Amino acid sequence: MLAIDVQDLRKTFKVQKNRGGLKGAFLDLLSREYTEVAAVKDISFQIPRGEICGYIGENGAGKSTTIKMLTGILVPTSGHLKVNGYVPYKEREQFVKGIGVVFGQRSQLWWDIGVIESFHLLRKVYQVPEHDFKARLDELVERLGLQDLLSRPVRKLSLGQRMRCELVAALLHNPSILFLDEPTIGLDIVVKTEIRQFLKSLNEQFGTTILLTTHDLQDIEALCSRVIMLDDGNIIYDGSLDELKNRWSRGREVHFQFGSNHSLTRLMELTQGLPVEWTPENDLAAKVWIPLEINVSDVLGRIVGSTDITDIKIVETNTDDIVRQIYQSGSANERIEQEKASERLLHV
Amino acid sequence: MNVSSMFSAYLDFIRIRFLTMLAYRVNYYSGIAIYTLNIGVYYFTWQAIYGGQGQLGGFTVAQMTTYVAVSWMARAFYFNNLDREIAADVRDGSIAIQFIRPYNYVVVKMMQGLGEGLFRFMLFMIPGMVIALLLFPIKLPTSGTSWAVFLVMLFLSFLINSQLNIITGLMAFFVENIDGMIRMKRAVVDLFSGLIIPISFLPLWLQSTMKVLPFQAITYLPSSVFTGRIQGTTTWNVLGIQLLWLVILLIPIVLLYRKARTRLFVQGG
Amino acid sequence: MYYIELVWEYMKNYMKSRLTYRADFWVEVISDLMFQFTNLIFIFVVFRHTNSLGGWSESEIVFVYGYFMIPYGLFSCFVNLWGFSERYITKGEMDRIMTRPAHSLFQILLENLDPPALMGSLIGTIIMIVSGVQLGIHIEWWHIPALLIMVVSSVLIYTGIYTALTSISFYSDAPTGILPLMYNLQAYGRYPVTIYNRFIQILLTWIMPFAFVGVYPASLFLQREDMTRMALVTPLMGIAIFAVGLTCWNMGVRKYRGAGS
Repeated sequence: MLAIDVQDLRKTFKVQKNRGGLKGAFLDLLSREYTEVAAVKDISFQIPRGEICGYIGENGAGKSTTIKMLTGILVPTSGHLKVNGYVPYKEREQFVKGIGVVFGQRSQLWWDIGVIESFHLLRKVYQVPEHDFKARLDELVERLGLQDLLSRPVRKLSLGQRMRCELVAALLHNPSILFLDEPTIGLDIVVKTEIRQFLKSLNEQFGTTILLTTHDLQDIEALCSRVIMLDDGNIIYDGSLDELKNRWSRGREVHFQFGSNHSLTRLMELTQGLPVEWTPENDLAAKVWIPLEINVSDVLGRIVGSTDITDIKIVETNTDDIVRQIYQSGSANERIEQEKASERLLHV
Repeated sequence: MNVSSMFSAYLDFIRIRFLTMLAYRVNYYSGIAIYTLNIGVYYFTWQAIYGGQGQLGGFTVAQMTTYVAVSWMARAFYFNNLDREIAADVRDGSIAIQFIRPYNYVVVKMMQGLGEGLFRFMLFMIPGMVIALLLFPIKLPTSGTSWAVFLVMLFLSFLINSQLNIITGLMAFFVENIDGMIRMKRAVVDLFSGLIIPISFLPLWLQSTMKVLPFQAITYLPSSVFTGRIQGTTTWNVLGIQLLWLVILLIPIVLLYRKARTRLFVQGG
Repeated sequence: MYYIELVWEYMKNYMKSRLTYRADFWVEVISDLMFQFTNLIFIFVVFRHTNSLGGWSESEIVFVYGYFMIPYGLFSCFVNLWGFSERYITKGEMDRIMTRPAHSLFQILLENLDPPALMGSLIGTIIMIVSGVQLGIHIEWWHIPALLIMVVSSVLIYTGIYTALTSISFYSDAPTGILPLMYNLQAYGRYPVTIYNRFIQILLTWIMPFAFVGVYPASLFLQREDMTRMALVTPLMGIAIFAVGLTCWNMGVRKYRGAGS
């Protein structure tokens, strides 16, 4: 069964045109002009139950707008939308009982009162039976290690502590779908790892479907079996992270550490005939970029015997680089198409 | 930053606020309607209070009508929400960012107030005055000097009122919820500035209390000059009182601002 | 039932958070009362110069003011929309509200409870009793239920007007909203509206019906025949204006969800 089913979803906003300058501002007081801007342009995707899906894209790509439509905050301009069996914007009050939402930048806890008081209030708001609430709270508190924080007011918590409490707040009513809008923003590496582990186990244990937006691709690598990439309101990639990497990484880098001074010209001579690129780092180190079609061992074979190597490190192109490349070029599919075309050529 | 570029940065706050105000259409149109309505309500209320009596508190009915219109239009100009803005900055913590910027926060607020005042003067007060002149029997002075003196006093009213707003706003550093205080301040200023009731109507003991408070310098004194109830050399006394309050009110602002800064840095926002 | 339970829960939380700032509680109570007091000063001062305002005596006007304070206190406690535009629209907290399973307006009202304002209702009751005694009004059995109905209706009218005005925030981008502008208008229903011209009378009766939060319902107890009919209309107006306010709100929310921010 599908947790989220989106067909040709579109959202356009009316944006007021400012005429600029003093004269323009006076004219705006009398009459206004608007332009239509499409934030999300007829996107379609399906997310089955129990999947963890990463939703990524540059700022302004339309991520938040999509999340807001999926959570029932915004009404789409056109298209079909079904989340957890509901049309979110139609039966809002019923629908939101089955979802949990965390906005990384905004708190859903009450500022002045103890964390536990916020939880009790949310229990009432979501009408969770006392017994279920207790069991669930105990478990969440245990797993996120919040025992000592419960009686503290939110304003006295660190960002990491607060974020863990936000997660509990979003999960108290046992939602089957969890939406996370930049859940790890601003957190240190330890808390980030903790939260990732927690989400992973949540998904495994309860089969909670998770859709998260993030700018931290480590979140995606650690959690998501699937990535949807958005650019300018269009989906430019939808598939597994591995596939994205395979399609996009064009090579790897090998870092060499030498025992004595090396000469770059000598290294280049050794690899003559291979399409590799050398970059010197210092007197005792250099790196070489090797395209995918060449085996790393071919290069190593030529170097190892003839030089005084103390250390070798092979570096796969990291996801950040890949994603940066895609953002810059504006499309993932184009390249995939190109590659498919070249593959076909090879086969002929 | 040198002095002249600092000055032009401050001027920019005036310009930006002016443009921002222009962007809020609903507020603008409802504002004009409501100020006209306020004049109307007090016009009829005073008609009922006079009920045929010739003179009350030293005002004839005709003088009262003009006084009401002039006072409300002055308020349309000098009124602003600096208190609420400062309180909001304090509450959401953005004041910390304001304090580390290379300008004086209070001066910036004053400049924003000026930008708003400029807008209110040109687009609230003047059009509102024209509408009020058409609807009610108001007699305005014809001499250029009266107008010039009035405009100077009006500007001082604006400064004094803004100072009071800034003081109220800065109180947000010391009290958690100052909405009530802001509301009270507004009611006190409206009443004791002479907007709702001229000071000369108050019982004598209250009148003498008002003499040592800054409120009358906001509405009562300038409006009295403009409606011709204060004339000749007394006019200069009025101007002196306004200037005096302008200077005196700087003291609590400086003190509160200093204390607020240390408080912010000690508590870490 | 669900909603009543929530009111209680939020009230408890308010108390818990307020107990940490006890001094503030009293600052708020005192500034609220000072605010009411300045309004009374106007009445006392005016009656130093005349003994009748449009045919109403000082005690009668003070009685009306006392009545006004009761629904006003309740309204200020439960319907505090002052900072709505800034907090929920500009700062985007509306999104959070929309992800919770209760009516959006109701959630916002609950998050902004202001119990110190109830003190005003108490003082209002005392003022009403004192001036009632001065006027020689005998308390009859029907006064109590009638007062309850009138107060509830007045609160509904206030709520309706302010909800409708706050709904404008969904359309306008001004951070302060227009409530501060309306601020003075509410006072005008506390005086006998017959002193105004027709336009203002109609405005205060049918368009911004603040007269139903003051002089009309209070006249029932003062036995002023000239306004009894309007007094009896108060409950109907209460329901109607509240419905208008709620409709405006729902329309505003629909706009918000259509346009986002």
